[in-house]
Amino acid sequence: MTDAKALINVVIDGRDIRVPQSTTVYHAAKQAGIEIPIFCYHDRMPPLGACRMCLVKVEKMGRLQTSCTLEAADGMVVSTTAPDVHAGQEAMLEYLLVNHPLDCPICDKGGECPLQDQAFRWGPGRSRFVEVKRDFAKPVSLGPVLVLDRERCILCWRCVRFGEIIAGDDALKGFERGFASEINTPFTLPVQSKFIGNTIAICPVGALTAKSYRFIARPWDNRAVSSVCTFCGVGCAVHLDVRGNTITRVRAREQPAVNDIWLCDLGFYGQAYVGRDDRLRRPLVRRDGALVETSWDEAVDVVARQIRTAGGRAGLLGGGRGTNEDAYVLGRFFRTAAGSNHIDHRVDLGPHTASAAVPWGMTMPIADLAAADVIVLAGCDLTEEYPVLWLRIKQAVDRGATIIAITPKRLEIGRFIVHHLVHRYGVGAEVLAALIGGRTGRRRIGQTPGGVRDDALEAASAALMSASRPAVLVGRLALDAPDGVAAVDALLEVCRRLGTSLNVMRGKGNEFGAALAGMLPDHAPGYRRLEEGRGDLESAWGEPVAGAPGLSAPDMLAAAARGDLSLLYVVGADPATAVPDRRRWTAARAALPFLVVQDAFLTETAQAADVVFPALVIAEKSGTVSNVEGRIQRVEAAVQGPGEARNDWEIISLLSERLGRPLAYSGWEEIFDEMRRMIPGLEIDHRITARPPHDGFDARGPTPEARVAPVAGDYPLTLIIGDALFDRGAMTARSPTIADLAGEPWVLLHPDDAAAAGIADGDAVVVESAGASVALRSRVSDAVRRGDVFVPRGFDATPVNKLTDGDPRVMVRIRALAAVAGSTGGT
Amino acid sequence: MAESFLLKYVHDPGQAGLEGYLSRGGYEGLRRALRMAPAEVTEEVDKSGLRGRGGAGFATGRKWKFIPPDPGVIKYLVVNADEGEPGTFKDRTLLEGDPHRLIEGIAIGSYAIGAHQAFIYLRREFHRARRLLERALAQAYDARFLGRNIQDSGFDLEVVLATGAGAYIAGEETALLESLEGRRAMPRLKPPFYPAVKGLYMQPTALNNVETLCHVAWILARGADWYRQQGPPILISISGHVAAPGVYELPLGTTIRAAIDAAGGMRDGRPFKACFPGGSSSAILSPAYLDTPMDYDALAKLDVPGSMLGSAALIVMDEATCMVEIVARTVEFYRDESCGKCTPCREGTIWLSQVFDRILHGTGRGDDLDLLAGVARGMMGTCFCPLGESVPPSLNASLRFFRHEYEHHIRTGACDVRAVA
Amino acid sequence: MTTGNREPETGGRGRGEPPHQRRLSESAKDEIRRLMAQFPQPQSALLGALFVAQDEAGYLSPAVLEDVSAVVGLPLSEVTSVASFYHLYYFKPVGRYLIQVCTNVSCTLDGCAEVLHHLRARLGVDVGQTTPDGRFTLRTAECLAACEEAPVMMVGEDRHGKLTPETVDAILAGYAEPRRPTPEAR
Repeated sequence: MTDAKALINVVIDGRDIRVPQSTTVYHAAKQAGIEIPIFCYHDRMPPLGACRMCLVKVEKMGRLQTSCTLEAADGMVVSTTAPDVHAGQEAMLEYLLVNHPLDCPICDKGGECPLQDQAFRWGPGRSRFVEVKRDFAKPVSLGPVLVLDRERCILCWRCVRFGEIIAGDDALKGFERGFASEINTPFTLPVQSKFIGNTIAICPVGALTAKSYRFIARPWDNRAVSSVCTFCGVGCAVHLDVRGNTITRVRAREQPAVNDIWLCDLGFYGQAYVGRDDRLRRPLVRRDGALVETSWDEAVDVVARQIRTAGGRAGLLGGGRGTNEDAYVLGRFFRTAAGSNHIDHRVDLGPHTASAAVPWGMTMPIADLAAADVIVLAGCDLTEEYPVLWLRIKQAVDRGATIIAITPKRLEIGRFIVHHLVHRYGVGAEVLAALIGGRTGRRRIGQTPGGVRDDALEAASAALMSASRPAVLVGRLALDAPDGVAAVDALLEVCRRLGTSLNVMRGKGNEFGAALAGMLPDHAPGYRRLEEGRGDLESAWGEPVAGAPGLSAPDMLAAAARGDLSLLYVVGADPATAVPDRRRWTAARAALPFLVVQDAFLTETAQAADVVFPALVIAEKSGTVSNVEGRIQRVEAAVQGPGEARNDWEIISLLSERLGRPLAYSGWEEIFDEMRRMIPGLEIDHRITARPPHDGFDARGPTPEARVAPVAGDYPLTLIIGDALFDRGAMTARSPTIADLAGEPWVLLHPDDAAAAGIADGDAVVVESAGASVALRSRVSDAVRRGDVFVPRGFDATPVNKLTDGDPRVMVRIRALAAVAGSTGGT
Repeated sequence: MAESFLLKYVHDPGQAGLEGYLSRGGYEGLRRALRMAPAEVTEEVDKSGLRGRGGAGFATGRKWKFIPPDPGVIKYLVVNADEGEPGTFKDRTLLEGDPHRLIEGIAIGSYAIGAHQAFIYLRREFHRARRLLERALAQAYDARFLGRNIQDSGFDLEVVLATGAGAYIAGEETALLESLEGRRAMPRLKPPFYPAVKGLYMQPTALNNVETLCHVAWILARGADWYRQQGPPILISISGHVAAPGVYELPLGTTIRAAIDAAGGMRDGRPFKACFPGGSSSAILSPAYLDTPMDYDALAKLDVPGSMLGSAALIVMDEATCMVEIVARTVEFYRDESCGKCTPCREGTIWLSQVFDRILHGTGRGDDLDLLAGVARGMMGTCFCPLGESVPPSLNASLRFFRHEYEHHIRTGACDVRAVA
Repeated sequence: MTTGNREPETGGRGRGEPPHQRRLSESAKDEIRRLMAQFPQPQSALLGALFVAQDEAGYLSPAVLEDVSAVVGLPLSEVTSVASFYHLYYFKPVGRYLIQVCTNVSCTLDGCAEVLHHLRARLGVDVGQTTPDGRFTLRTAECLAACEEAPVMMVGEDRHGKLTPETVDAILAGYAEPRRPTPEAR
């Protein structure tokens, strides 16, 4: 809304203040620098008027008024200092404190506690209370993140309203009533939320605290360092609070364009891996079959020799976890000194998927999601993949937007989805095609492909075509599906008709920065096609750049398996667990003469390496990163890395020097400046997006092998592999809170399929494909269609990529691990 | 004295059934209303001077006029049948004795404001009333006093019967709407959530009390002029130490003394000590106020803050009553019924009740009376809704009129009132 | 406060733990759906749905609340939060007949303390407790809007007034049989 509101005049404490109509007295006072104490009011939520702390006196009004709820009116005369205002505020503070334990010395909130501060400033300074205080069992654990202290709670309802209004997860609620009221979860069960850390941030007392921060630090011990969370790709701005050389906690840093003031719990609690003891500290080199510590000098020497020997038959995988500058230097080094364009950050790319056919990232700004009127989620499991974007879309929903979801799994946010077309895996494209007018020509009355009802389809179609501010998002459950290319083709048609661009929700961490910096086989920095940009690169770098476009990640593995690759250089990635088909990795590794891994941990891939370089992680780096919408943001090093670990670009500098082609940079700034000369528009807080997906999209695509019809044979179930926000990967498994939230790896299956296999919810089960099996915990739910099972990726100890065999459609069977009483046993 | 009509038939057998109701002129008010334009019906109610009988006493006709007339806007009529103000039992009496009268009033009110769906929010404990209402509603549908095209007027109305689940605060109009929407009965912020503007499901909503709508049925049946000539009457629930507790239909402005006389006078001839004139939310009055007329203004203008007609629940206490115990009981009631939303009500009521507990258990302290007054002062004018502010009036009045009883409790740890009695 | 606490009676969320894990019948779910159809927004049926569940299961166990939440389409947290607000929902098993004795002002004036004292002695339980035979649960209630008959109590859905210790005994006797005679008091 941009229509300017009329200005009105109010007098507060004798000062004339001009504010737009419908401004509250609280905000009018704040604008004039007059502080009014508040507890329940929070400026991201509508006023509630519950705590009664923000009392003011208004001329011609009999009662004291709550300034957070009272709209200023023209000519209104307000006092925040009248004696009865003070009396009222004193009374409120006295009421709040009578049942508060006043255990500030052992409270994590102490020193940054609004109750403490306001009692100091506005409180009565004494209490007349001689009765017994309200008594609750405490502290109460509400899952891996949260600790609840009901005695400290002043019932401001902020946390409850966060769940209802901001996150839509209704995680915390008020129970009982009156003086017995308490904030809790039903039956004190673990809280079900991906955003609960925010409630700790907005709690005005120490009622909600984080297990990971209990008794860790006082606020004045902490030094706040600006950084960016690079787990999922949203790129939320954070403050890393540091005490000594330890990150004590993560807080949201206000960034209106990205995360506003919120984070998800992965962002809040996923950083613990940084300080883990099992970080790599010194380079490792394989000697007599074992990896042993060595000097940088020797390790660099060995690798430099191998690169020289490889003579262009070298491949570079990864780079999506570092900074933009890391990625740029890696790419420059490989294209010049290593003489190879076999560069790809897309380690988890399937060979014949739509993910290979379209550039990754959003074409629209994140902030515009909140203004959309129709939001299409095609195979995009938003809260598992880009959780904070959901908070934007929730705002759109609250403004009346309609969500249309076409997914093979019912989404967690299903309650807010008006048209939820949950389909059999592998036929999403047909559903999408039917949405825009049934180009398949196979629409029948009642059911359409994938078990989606015809009338539901029709209603969704009508809603879709009514969009005036659409946002169309395609995610990995569509992109990596067997019919992904056809799905994208249909979605591009949707976008064409609606006059919008497709947002490709693919990529994590800083993969967008890696792509921007040129870590693609066929693209130079700045998303320029290599054949167009090569000349400029050569003149900028003053060296020859390798000619023909390089191999993509899956093609590199294939080449390695054929013996066509001499060296593979893996940076900040674990292809052993990340590639879609583990057997291809195993074959590639077996045939590969030399493997270099540059990482923070001894991942499964690193364990198989010939040389391992210890690398810093993002919290230890300064530079820039890019997010899913292409926004460039600054990160500052918060802590020093362990041992001799170095920046990725510094390691490359060492190698380049050893190869006699020195890339000597003084720091990230110099690299960034060089990038700016090459990439127009590269500035902090600006967006640079990839070319739109419809540009150059080939609908015949890298499309594959014909779809395998489901057979009721030995392997009757279709396997869907997807993301879970909380998993146990290289970093998350080392962040205890996240590992706890993730729990054991699991499989989601339909109740009918579970019943047929004699499996109950929570059973230990084995999922088998032809030739491989993984042990998982069952979750029985009709969130998937009968015949489909869903398994999350990202559990490195139980890699689901064992089950795949290169075909996008993987058929499996499932059986209970132990016989269950009363069941006939699994198939 | 004018003719009694509100209670005229409530004890007649058969009145709760449609036949009995029709045989005594039932639904004549609705028939007449349907021949009028909706605005004329509202005008008639406005002219009658009827004020809401739920407790706030707001003019019913004016309330209806706040509802936007635009036929394109969905409107609702909601009946507050959640009678719970301590000492009040007139609505239950009407519900159990004359349910069709309420249905007729609902149909008239809905027609006047242009609502096609009405909801009765009935107190859960009123099981007998629920059974009778369910039957009466079915009869009214069958006889086409409800449903599609009522009496061939072209007016459609559906009435849904819903119940509460045990919460006094649901009697507050916005809390009632929250409860009717299936949520915790916590009052909404006013503004912006005035029911007439943003009521049930955020649509304009007329919220009326049971007795009010029964008055409406009579007003439309007999006319506003006739109604005004009747007093106008109100139903007064008289309980406590009177000879014949019950609901009495008396002209507005009957004195407390006359009302007690109507209820057979003081029980066993014991002297009057005190009364709540308008339920436990009103102040307590001493014998000096016995000749106060029971009308909205006279009670409100007394020099006793918080004195009011309210729901006209006259609770009469004789000299053997321990006022400390009665006020303590009242405080406990509000403590247990507080929704907990706002600080002063939630914390003030529990604190007060803790102090009362001490006093009644013989561990009162010298400064407790100042403490009681001080805690109550902090609640006055600061609460989110009227519930919390219902506590200070009776407390303050008792501290003023019966201070010696508190002092005796604190000094001796015992009650002298009952010992004397 | 007489509201039961919301902690489950027994721990564990595994299988085969009746009656704690007892689920709602299909007919109860149908009744809830019927209630939902009455309102423009289904959540309006929640209070009624909770009574349907409570009437069938005896009290609102976690399992039953989960079923209500699934049928009404609301988060379990919301359903449980709403239920806990109202005093007529029980989170623990109660006796076959719930006795609610009004202890508000008018009934206090007319001797409810004596009635309550008598009931405690007669039933051998305190307020909030259930008789060992599972027949009665004794609770206090706020004003039942029948002050003309003070002191008043409800037994199940029946209201009884003008109570004295003698009439209380007679009334309780009417509920002594396993099958309930439904005396309608007025």
